Amino acid sequence: MGLLEKLSLWLGGGAREVSVVVLGLDNSGKSSLLRALHPPPRTPAAEEPPPPPTVGTRQDHFTAGGVSFSAVEVGGGRRHRALWERHYRAADALIYVVDAADPLRLVVSRSELQLVLAAGGARRVPLLVLANKSDRPDALHHLQVAQALSLEQVQGVPWHICAASAASGAGLAEGVAWLARELRTTHASRKGQH
Amino acid sequence: MGNTSRWLDVEVGADDTNLNTLPSNVVTVDLQNDNEFKLLIGDLGRGDEPSKLKVYKGAIQTADMVLPDVPLGVVGFYSSDTVPPPFPNIAVGFSSCVYIYRNMKLFYKYYLPTLELNTVEMDIWKQLIDTKNHELKIISSLTDNLKSMPYQYLSSQSQRFLSLNPDQQLEYLQQSPKPLVHKLAEVTCLATLRMNSVERFAVSCLIVGTEDGDVIVLDPQTFTQLHQAKLENNKVPFQMVTTGLYQVDYRIVVATREKSVCLLKREWKEGRILFNTDEHIIAIEVMTADNSVMVICTDNTMTCYSRKGKKQWSIQLEHRPVSMTSLGVMHLGAVLTGVALASGHLQLYHGKARQDTVFIRDVASVVKFGQLGQEEHVLMIVTASGNLMLKILNRTADFNSPAAGAEAARGAGRPWLIPNKSKLFLEQAKRERDSAIQMHEKFQGELARLRLTAAKALLDAYSKSDNNIGKGALEPIRLSAEVEGLGPVFRVTLTVQNTAADRAVVGLAILFHVHNAAYKVHNPYIKIPLLSPSSSLHFPTKVEEIFEGDFHPDVLFRSVSGQGGARSLVKILLLKDGNRSPALAATLQMPPTDPLMLPQPITDDTHNFALVADLYERYKILLLKAGGRSPALAATLQMPPTDPLMLPQPITDDTRNFA
Repeated sequence: MGLLEKLSLWLGGGAREVSVVVLGLDNSGKSSLLRALHPPPRTPAAEEPPPPPTVGTRQDHFTAGGVSFSAVEVGGGRRHRALWERHYRAADALIYVVDAADPLRLVVSRSELQLVLAAGGARRVPLLVLANKSDRPDALHHLQVAQALSLEQVQGVPWHICAASAASGAGLAEGVAWLARELRTTHASRKGQH
Repeated sequence: MGNTSRWLDVEVGADDTNLNTLPSNVVTVDLQNDNEFKLLIGDLGRGDEPSKLKVYKGAIQTADMVLPDVPLGVVGFYSSDTVPPPFPNIAVGFSSCVYIYRNMKLFYKYYLPTLELNTVEMDIWKQLIDTKNHELKIISSLTDNLKSMPYQYLSSQSQRFLSLNPDQQLEYLQQSPKPLVHKLAEVTCLATLRMNSVERFAVSCLIVGTEDGDVIVLDPQTFTQLHQAKLENNKVPFQMVTTGLYQVDYRIVVATREKSVCLLKREWKEGRILFNTDEHIIAIEVMTADNSVMVICTDNTMTCYSRKGKKQWSIQLEHRPVSMTSLGVMHLGAVLTGVALASGHLQLYHGKARQDTVFIRDVASVVKFGQLGQEEHVLMIVTASGNLMLKILNRTADFNSPAAGAEAARGAGRPWLIPNKSKLFLEQAKRERDSAIQMHEKFQGELARLRLTAAKALLDAYSKSDNNIGKGALEPIRLSAEVEGLGPVFRVTLTVQNTAADRAVVGLAILFHVHNAAYKVHNPYIKIPLLSPSSSLHFPTKVEEIFEGDFHPDVLFRSVSGQGGARSLVKILLLKDGNRSPALAATLQMPPTDPLMLPQPITDDTHNFALVADLYERYKILLLKAGGRSPALAATLQMPPTDPLMLPQPITDDTRNFA
C-alpha cells in the first residue's frame, strides 16, 4: 500500500478533522504556538504582542502533513488544570507545551503531565511534547526537558519531543509532521483491522 | 503514575551554592515586574568571602552584588504608585544605615539619626584620649568606670573598646581617635508596611528597628522620618511583623531580645509589651486571619497568643526549632505554620494540629514560603550547610488529612464549649438552691428504688437459675431450646452444642423440670451420648399441656392470658455424672395453647340435633361458633329413605350364639 493510497484512505473518511488538545502550564506559550501554526504566516509572531492568558478553552484549526487538525487549547492556570483530563479523554492527540526556559516549573509540568496521562487510562493517543522558547539563551536542551519530564517512563503512548519556538516558528513543522504521520499510521492500522 | 506526595522537589545544582544567611535576609521580589519573582538572599559571606546580595531566578543564580557590610535585613517595596509600576526598591540594612537599591543599583543611603552621648561616657572618653593618660594603670581605672555603666547604653565605640585587651586598648588610643560626641544608632531589623492599599504594587513604607529600642517609619519616597516610637524599657527588637495600612490602622508586632513581644499601633509613641515568654524567642509569625501571634522559643515550644496577648495554646516540639514561616494556601483556605527543627524536619501545623512533616536531610537555617518564578506556592529552604532547596506545593495536595486538624484548631480558640445560660438553666439553678433538701431526699428515694429493682432482677435470675452458657470445664457446652406447635401438644427441640475444637464430652443428661399440674413431658430424662468436638445434637421431646377436666371455651378464653407466670415455665437442666448441681440450666416460656386446637366438648345443642335427625329423617347442618349457645347458620337436608337391606344387622343374641 503506497503512501498515496494511505492518504486517499484517510481522506476517504470524509473531511473529518482530528481533534488535538493543547495543554501546558500557564505562560508556556500554547496560544502563541497555535498562532504560529496558522498556514498563512501573517506578520512575524515576534512583533505581535503576546496573547493574553487563556481563560477556559479556545478553539483553533490548522492543517499539517495532509491532516486537518481541530485544536482545543485549555488554559494552563492552576485553576484550569482540573479541566485537562476531560479534554484529554475526548482528544485524538495531545500536544504538551513546556517552557524550556523555566527550569523551576518543569517539575510541576511533569506532575501535571503524569496526572493527565494517568487519567487517560489505556488510551494510546500520540503525545507530542514541544519544548517551547528554545530560542532563549537560558533555555534547556529538549533532551534535558525530556529527562526532567521523565518521558522515558511514559509507557504505552507513542511520544516525541522537539525543541520549538513560537516566536520564530522553528521546530513546529517537525513536531506536527510527526504527529500527522503517527495519526495516519494508527488510522491505517485501525482500518486494516476492520 | 499518580504522584501522591504533597511536595514536588526541584532539582538544584548544589555544587556552587554556598549560602550563609539568616531569615531576615531572604526575600522574594518581582524585580523586573514581569510576574517572575526572584529570590533575593543577603549572604553574610563565609570566611574571606565578602557579604553579597545574590539573586536567584528559580534555582539558578542570575546576579550577585558585593555589599559593603554584613546585611542585617533585606526587604523589597514599591515607592510610588505610577502606572506602569516602577521597579521595586530593595532595602538592605547595614550597621547604622540602610541602602536602598533600585534596579540593582544603589539609589539612596539612609543614615539613622544620631543620639546624644551620655555625659559620663563622654567625660571618660575625653580623659582616655588625653595623651597624658596613656598609661596602663590610668586606662584600666577609666575602663573600670566604663564597665560600671550599663553595657547596652554604651556607644558602639565604647563597647568595642571594652572588648580589647589592655595592650590593644593602649595601641588604639595612641592612634588618637576623634573625641566622641554622638552615638550612632545601629540597625537590627527591617520591615515594610503598606501605605494605603493592599494591592500588589501598592506603596509601602520602610520600618527600621534599632539597637536602642526605636522603631522608625520612613516615608517611601523621601526616606524622611514619618513616625518614631520607642519600645517599652528600651527593649531591642530583632524581628518585626506588620499588618494593616499605615494611613488607616496598623499593628507592628515586635519580637525583642529580652524574652518579650511588643506591640506598636497607629499613633502610639511607645510600644507596649504584648506578652512575655519564659525563654528566648527564636522567631515570631502573625496569622493574618485573627492577628494571633505564633512564637517559637528556645525551650522547644511553639505557642500561640491571641491578638490581645493572651496565651491560647502551647505545644512541645520534639527538637529545637530553627526557623518559622507561615504558609498561606489560598485555594485550600488554610494558613499553615511551618517550623524547621534542628533534627532536619520541617513540620507543618494547622493551628496546633500537625498536618505534614517534610524531611529535609539537613538543618534548615531559613524557611520561606511564597511565590517564586511563576509558581505561587514554593517552599524555599536554605540549609545550614549552604544549600538551597526548593519544594513546590502539588496542585492536588490536600491538608484535610484525618488528623482532625480542624477540630483541634477550633478548640484552640475557645477551649471550653459552654453554651449560653438559658432561662431554663437559670430557673433550674434557682430551684436547686431553694429546695435542695427535697431534691436530695427525692434523689435518695429514687436511688433506693433503683437498687430494689436491681435486687429483684438478681433474685429473679437466681430463682430461675438461668445460665445457658457453662462455666469452668463445661464452658464450651451450649444449651438451647426451641418450641414448635400450637398446643396443647408442643414439640420442644433441645440442642446441645459442644464448641470445643478438641475435647469430647460424655456423661451428660437432660432433665425436664415442670409444673406437674400444667404440663406433661413424655420423656423427662434424656441421656446424651458422646458429644464429639464442635458438633451438636438435637433432642425433640413432646410436651403436652394439661387442662382441668371441666373447662368451658369461655373460661378458657379468659384464662389463656393468665396461663403465664411460673406455671408456664419449663426448666431444662443439663446434668453431668457425679456432679451434685446441674451444669447448665435453661428456662423455657411455653406459649399459650390456641383454644381452637382443643377437642370440642359435646354441647346440649348437638344432643338435640341427633334427636331431630332421628325424628324427621332430615339433617340439619348447623355452623356453630365455639362458645356460642345458638348456631350461627343452619341448613336442612332431606335424606332419602334407606333401603332396609342396606341396614347393618343388629347384633342379636342369636349372632352371639352363632359365634
